[in-house]
Amino acid sequence: MRVSRNLIASAVTVLLAGGLAACGGSSSSSSSGGGSNSSTSSSAQAIPLKPGENPVGQQLTGKTKGGTLTVLSNGDFEHLDSGQAYYALDYQIIQATDRPLFSYPPNSVSTVRADLATTVPTTANGGITDGGKTVTVHIRTGVHYSPPVNREVTAQDVAFALERGANPNVGNAYWPAYFGAASPAPLLGSTSSKYQGGPLPGITTPNKTTIVFKMTKPGAPLLIDALSLPLSAPLPPEFVGPLDKKSPTTYGTQFLVATGPYMVQADKTGKIAGIGYQPGKSETLVRNPNWDPKTDFRPAYLNQIKVKVGGDSTVIGQQVLKGSDSIQLDTVDNSIVKQAYQQDPSQITFTSGSGDHYMAMNTQHGVFKNVNIRRAMWAALDREAIVKARGGALVAEPGTHFIYPGVAGYDQAGGAKGPPVDFNKSVTGNATAAAKYMKAAGYPSGKYTGNQTIQVVLSNAGNGPAIAQIVSSAMTSIGLKPKVSLVDQSTMYSKYCGVPKQQIDACPTVGWIRDFADPLSVLYATFYGPSIVPTNNSNWSQANIPAVNTAMVKAALVADPAAHVQAWANVDKMLVNEAVAVPEDFDNEPQIESKDVAGVNQLWNEGQWDFAFTSLKNG
Amino acid sequence: MTTYIIRRILWGILLIILVSALTFVFFNVFPSADPAILRAGRNSSPATIAHIRHNLGLDKPVYTQFWIYMKNILLHFNFGYSYYSGASVLGLIKDRLPATLSLTVGAAVFWLLAGIPVGIISAVRRGTLLDRAAMSGALFFVSMPVFWLGLVMLFLFANDIGRFHVFPGAGTYVGLTNDPVKWFTSLIMPWIVLAATSAAIYSRLLRGSLIEAMGEDYIRTARAKGLTERRVIWRHGVRSAITPVVTILGLDIGALLGGAVITETVFDIPGIGRLNYDAIVHSDFPIVQGTVLLAALFIIVANIIVDISYAYLDPRVRYS
Repeated sequence: MRVSRNLIASAVTVLLAGGLAACGGSSSSSSSGGGSNSSTSSSAQAIPLKPGENPVGQQLTGKTKGGTLTVLSNGDFEHLDSGQAYYALDYQIIQATDRPLFSYPPNSVSTVRADLATTVPTTANGGITDGGKTVTVHIRTGVHYSPPVNREVTAQDVAFALERGANPNVGNAYWPAYFGAASPAPLLGSTSSKYQGGPLPGITTPNKTTIVFKMTKPGAPLLIDALSLPLSAPLPPEFVGPLDKKSPTTYGTQFLVATGPYMVQADKTGKIAGIGYQPGKSETLVRNPNWDPKTDFRPAYLNQIKVKVGGDSTVIGQQVLKGSDSIQLDTVDNSIVKQAYQQDPSQITFTSGSGDHYMAMNTQHGVFKNVNIRRAMWAALDREAIVKARGGALVAEPGTHFIYPGVAGYDQAGGAKGPPVDFNKSVTGNATAAAKYMKAAGYPSGKYTGNQTIQVVLSNAGNGPAIAQIVSSAMTSIGLKPKVSLVDQSTMYSKYCGVPKQQIDACPTVGWIRDFADPLSVLYATFYGPSIVPTNNSNWSQANIPAVNTAMVKAALVADPAAHVQAWANVDKMLVNEAVAVPEDFDNEPQIESKDVAGVNQLWNEGQWDFAFTSLKNG
Repeated sequence: MTTYIIRRILWGILLIILVSALTFVFFNVFPSADPAILRAGRNSSPATIAHIRHNLGLDKPVYTQFWIYMKNILLHFNFGYSYYSGASVLGLIKDRLPATLSLTVGAAVFWLLAGIPVGIISAVRRGTLLDRAAMSGALFFVSMPVFWLGLVMLFLFANDIGRFHVFPGAGTYVGLTNDPVKWFTSLIMPWIVLAATSAAIYSRLLRGSLIEAMGEDYIRTARAKGLTERRVIWRHGVRSAITPVVTILGLDIGALLGGAVITETVFDIPGIGRLNYDAIVHSDFPIVQGTVLLAALFIIVANIIVDISYAYLDPRVRYS
């Protein structure tokens, strides 16, 4: 459940164009071009991709070893601690340095495989028992921590890593949603408001290689998905525990250890600050000397990865396209996307299913309490214009519902066209349908005639001002009187859209990125009523519809995969019918690389680079 | 003179406290992101956010936060720690200052070397083709935004993305002590870009000032005494006319030492400006406060130096 981070521009807005989620990757060895690159999506790119631009089928093995990859990024990392990381940029590092119990291979968007675990638990192999309430995971032997810890990883380390997610000094963002009180299937003992990390009845370790999870409800599939998140990567308590006593923990900012093929360069004590990591300047990944390739499916071709932070995105883009041994880590400027698409197709990829944007409408306050006004707003909004504002058909396609391409349930929920309701039919705006719903809302003229002003808050970054105009125009067309405030993205979330008491009517530039393939990770935090909190709220529409809430809880616990997906697709249809928000666009993330780089995208993770699979063509 | 300097220093300290207070007020009153939420990460629970807010001292009354902050600065010279990285603000500033210092001093040398001769020549050759060409050029450079000029320079002359591979491009800055040659070459383009506008302004300013000075009675007297024209211009004309240039030079250097955000961003130079910009984006208040105080300090010191230099430049100026 991650929200993409835009780079916020104020004084130098023009220089630092904001984009949605950072993501993507590329492989010069990518296979066929054209069409959607999502294995579960039937949507098609509006503009056909050229050979090499589609990362599906990219070559993962048998590539050249060695060399140093230069990674250019104008944004810095937020958290390098696997217990805190919750941002696409951070995940790219964590995926190379840490080993969670399960992982998505870069070419898969929907199927996890065992990573630190020996197998993915199923009922058949005895990993899922007690009707889906108990999950037993066996971990590999021979996995060792990087210096200075050096010792072998144990199941107790995994338990410690997970439990520290509830430690306020760590404050893992998704602990409550997948393991704690807010989860549809919480771990035993985790629902207590007093629980703040430490041993948990729901996690036991009968021996050094076995960890058992007990839930209050049968949520095994959801738990296994959640254990693919970085929080399940083991950490040594003797090293991390003392650091966690500080608030906030200094693990991740000052010290770090690794279990993956790479580690952040550190001194003998494991200190990274000022050595392998200089905030706002650079980060250096080197090989983890204790990593044993026999225990891992990652090839780890590169010898070193040097991340340089800062600079203008248009300059970075040119440096990558014209230079050597380099990739861009975060949002690619639209001008660079266009140039690469036209002139350097082997150096750019587009990954669909990399998130969505929508206009949240306040269902608890103001005019948007009325479902028919929400439907009218949906009908009136020109989603095609928003796609253009975001950079055009290469990087976005019109949103038609809430489960986006690449997430299980997308097709069942309506695919590219979305549910066949009249207010959703035309992505360029439908004045007739809008008028119809305004009349149904009690305005015979088809336009709002009340006195309320609509408070609209959106991001001032990049395309925000253009989107503000499109939204204002749609509102005005149905008689609404918008009052638009453009603020920086973090302010938009933390002071306005994420604070229900501010009573903001509409937030047109909010967006969401899944945590894993389960559609729960797209709809639960964003539209589940009980998930509304007074601060840092992610249910921006404040949707709290009893029938939808009930359907979500039921869907979350459906064990049969097909029925599970269908249940969530039905939830999606309910949300569309309630018009809790207006979907604006589904995102396709572009990523660029130098000619001599054979980059690999993590298709499950917005197409982010996978450093453990990326290589240099000449080594 | 000593009394004057002491008085100016005391006023400077008072001004820094005021700037500090104003920055604090702006940060707390005007809309900005909640640092506790940013630190916690999106989707964090309210309990986690409250915990972080408490630990950062953000749950204390604003005046208490300010008092603690000022006390730490004044008594312990402690500017606090980054909300994000936990790094010492003073340490970060020390780390970034050499880059900004290199950029500013070098650019100042460039713009003085270009601006002063052009201004003098234009004034002395007033109305000639040379004057008109110089002033047109100055107008051209004054009109060009720094970010645009920076990008144009990179796309033309950077040795990685430029059409002509002449100078090292963005992101090539290294410290002076690490590699003096690379340090120098990596800063040539940023210096030119940063100096272009200032050189143009200085030349126009000096031209106007010198034209006015050359019409003064004491210039006529100097000529009547039989001094050479060169001596008249340099010893009597320029010395008097340069006073406003010195004034603006002090302010410019002071301001740039506080961070040349755009130039540092375009050329990817890890200086104070970029540190400040990143801190603003992340609502990392201790860093914002530290860098703003630093900028204020530089401007105040630069002003004091300018005032003192007046006395040496212009015999008519005497402080008591």
